[in-house]
Amino acid sequence: MHKIISTSIFLMIFFVSLIADDTKKYGEKINSTEKTNISEIINKPENFVGEKVLVEGTVVNVCAKRGCWIELASDKEFETIRVKVQDGVIVFPMEAKGKKALIEGEVYSFEYETDAECSGSCGHKKENEENCEHGKKEVKTIYQIRGIGAEI
Amino acid sequence: MKWRRTIRVIHRDTGYVAAVLTIIYAISGIAVNHIDDWNPNYVVEKRVVHVDPLSDTILTKQQSLNYVLTELEIVDSANSSFRPSPVSIDIFFEGKTISANLKTGKVEIEEISHRRFFKESNFLHLNTPKKLWTWIADIFAASLILLAATGLFMNKGKQGFKGRGKWFALLGLAIPIIFLIIYY
Repeated sequence: MHKIISTSIFLMIFFVSLIADDTKKYGEKINSTEKTNISEIINKPENFVGEKVLVEGTVVNVCAKRGCWIELASDKEFETIRVKVQDGVIVFPMEAKGKKALIEGEVYSFEYETDAECSGSCGHKKENEENCEHGKKEVKTIYQIRGIGAEI
Repeated sequence: MKWRRTIRVIHRDTGYVAAVLTIIYAISGIAVNHIDDWNPNYVVEKRVVHVDPLSDTILTKQQSLNYVLTELEIVDSANSSFRPSPVSIDIFFEGKTISANLKTGKVEIEEISHRRFFKESNFLHLNTPKKLWTWIADIFAASLILLAATGLFMNKGKQGFKGRGKWFALLGLAIPIIFLIIYY
């Protein structure tokens, strides 16, 4: 009886290790087939809000604590877009950095208040001078992708 | 009473099966409880080195990559690279990221390694696999309820619930209630 149990456990582990895939899948299965360039989304993000998109890019940053977001490099240099997922639903590993990722998700936006960009000296002329008042806040709109499924 | 003997058998055998998972969940629980103080899954080591800055030179991505690797005397091939700006470059290796600012010459090297046992425990405890593991975790949770319930009644007399047991059980009930009153 004990030999049967031990052998069964060993065979289970052995066969599972054989079918392990190099490509890791996260979240829901990716259904879209047509990819959207990240640069297109960054260029005109308001056109994509609420839209489901399939994007591909190199993972250049990963949330270190909970793996709840990654940043993908755009097809254009110097640009990135953040893919945010629900905590615990998808957990991106830090080893994903530098790897190619295929992400399906929905583009969304949110606004946040920040201190107006001020030179620190109101006597000095600066762009958006009207905002250069101590205590005045600016509202910025951030565009991200809410990740539903991923393959890395 | 025969039922008490049955309870002891259930408690014993359920305890044997649940022992390993209980330890896994407990250790992972302590680890993620302190997530503000440490990274429960990875050891992340960062260090800063300096290379000769190139303040006036504009390089292509490949030139930037080659320059940094040459300066740092790295012969391994990078997996990939990315430029956050024309004067900086991130170079990715397995388990290592090099972030270089060519204007200042500052290079940050980040190396990650798994926290063995913790990462695997957290993976199970936080239900990262989902699917079938969700059911296994539910069964384990049910077994803990069974252990608690059988533990309350498996002894009799002064050693049982009617004796010293009820005071310890009352203490176990009071702890969460007090903290709920204070913090909830």
